Amino acid sequence: MSGPSALRKKRHSRLPALAQAGPVSVWMILFVTLPLLFIIYISFMTRGTFGGVVYEFSSASYETLLDATYFKVILKSFQVAVLTTVTCLLVGYPFAYYIARKPADVAARLIMLLMIPMWTSSLMRLNAWMLLFQTNGPVNNALMALGLVHSPVKFIYTDGLVLLGLITNFLPFAVLPMYSSIEKLQGNLLEASADLGARPAVTFFKVTLPLTFPGIFSAIILTFIPALGTYTITDMLGGGKVLYIGNIIKNQFGTIRNWPLGAALSVLLLLITALLIFIYSRFAKIEDMEVL
Amino acid sequence: MKKLLAAILTLAMALSLAACGGGNGGGQGGEGTGDGSGAGNTELNIFMWSDYMSDSLVANFEKEFGVKVNISYMNDNADSITKLTAGAGDGYDLIMTCDAYMESLIAGGYLEPLDLSQIPNSKNINQAYWSEENQGYCVPYLMNYIYVVYDTERCPIEITCYNDLINPALKGEIGSIDGARNLFPIALVALGYDPNSREESEIAEAYEWLVKYNENVAAYGSTETNMVNGTISVMFTYDGNTAEAMSAMGDNNTLVVAPFTSDPVQLGFDLYVIPKGAKHMDLAYKFLNYICDAQVMADNLVENPYSCPNDAAVAVASEDYRNAPAFNFGYKTNVFFQEDVGDAIAIYDKYFQMLKVG
Repeated sequence: MSGPSALRKKRHSRLPALAQAGPVSVWMILFVTLPLLFIIYISFMTRGTFGGVVYEFSSASYETLLDATYFKVILKSFQVAVLTTVTCLLVGYPFAYYIARKPADVAARLIMLLMIPMWTSSLMRLNAWMLLFQTNGPVNNALMALGLVHSPVKFIYTDGLVLLGLITNFLPFAVLPMYSSIEKLQGNLLEASADLGARPAVTFFKVTLPLTFPGIFSAIILTFIPALGTYTITDMLGGGKVLYIGNIIKNQFGTIRNWPLGAALSVLLLLITALLIFIYSRFAKIEDMEVL
Repeated sequence: MKKLLAAILTLAMALSLAACGGGNGGGQGGEGTGDGSGAGNTELNIFMWSDYMSDSLVANFEKEFGVKVNISYMNDNADSITKLTAGAGDGYDLIMTCDAYMESLIAGGYLEPLDLSQIPNSKNINQAYWSEENQGYCVPYLMNYIYVVYDTERCPIEITCYNDLINPALKGEIGSIDGARNLFPIALVALGYDPNSREESEIAEAYEWLVKYNENVAAYGSTETNMVNGTISVMFTYDGNTAEAMSAMGDNNTLVVAPFTSDPVQLGFDLYVIPKGAKHMDLAYKFLNYICDAQVMADNLVENPYSCPNDAAVAVASEDYRNAPAFNFGYKTNVFFQEDVGDAIAIYDKYFQMLKVG
């Protein structure tokens, strides 16, 4: 007699958990896990004559990755992603600190200002950058009118403009987690530090920075990973002259039509990402990761 | 346990982030497979480039024959190859592809052979543009020259051959279309080789040539925009893009098609094929015959001013079209075609990748 009722009770207690986590789990399994497994699967397949995937095992794609060309691309992508991330942190941290120290209503408004550009599509924003900086665009016209330059400056299709595009695109993702970390920082800890004789700089490096580290690391992950894989920004602002790993992957699935190689490159990118998360878990508790 | 779950979820989120950033390229673009089943013989399903045929042409055809035309669009030449090789006959009756793939498609048996007696208007098409091997399997639609154009006021040198493009005086002045099979042929021609070479040593030499070319290139893609806004003064591009740039500059047009003396230029075709096992063959024939009609094609050229292999249509086309400088240049018949290079495509891909990685 007790069997069925106990079972029913157990089922009862499972229901809320199922209702809460069920939809997300189904979503993640269907649209993240399964496609991911498929990517890993086709990375071990063979490229067909017409560029399709032939389902025969081959490690050719991974052997291709050993080619120095790809090493160079990955190195270059890393450089640009590191530069973007570091700049976002250097610009974003003081800004996040500033917002976090404002009263709640002012802070909300400042964050709103930060988010407004994100209301438009990123392609629109990129096109706006291109229009602003093109050879006979407003920036050049203004410079010429002010007599600062005599012939138009070529801003467009330079590494500088690509970097500017990357930074403006990812800055909000760096500021938000850092803001949330800094906001939680308790004022009495800073006071205690000061009372114990620490100068402001010492307090910052010994108290503030370590306590807000989870936010900083989230900011790193949220800017570094997408910056590493991006291809639209580098394509549009860079004029398609220099390719990063994101562009190479896109081309494998598009014009070059080598899906297995594209998949292998994606797997490589995923491994790099996983490694980053692993390093993070060594540094800090993963539950602390600030993702708004 | 909670920690583990959190770790897995974070990882999944981060991975999906990375996937958004880079790996989501596998999309096939505009799908909308016109499902012909059960629709009888009143629906025609076409797969082609977007903005490449006037809406009124399609509407008039629908009215005249009392049928419905479903068009879905490709984003890349590769899309139609994917469809054709996967067996597109169930979903489509006509597919647009280009001449470079014809040899493989015919050899692979992916196409229905055409009965030209059902397309009487095909006599309007200039035979010079329609190779004998292809005649049994495709009908050319429009074509494009890929040539060099420069601005006589801003370009520092006069350009009469491909080798002029690697002159250091042009540093940062060139806007170029992209793609291994567009770029390598000009290097091969400049070096005196077959533009469709399959020899690795020749392709490697062409790569060295293109490294110098790349130095002079400001950007790949958006050639006409960059020309009009003054970012570049030379472009290696399609005649259609040139026509747009010239008309955008209007009366102040200072662009000229480079007066090449002996180097041939690439000519490509967009053409229609019927996929193996297509469900509405007779409608497909009617449509092909309709677009080969001189007046129908001439009207279509108003909205789609590209080079046209249909001589009868060109003869009755608008004066604007016939006099457009983008389509009137002295060496229209000194051309080469992009041929199927078979497995050598892997060699091209390799050197193209190297070129882009720098």
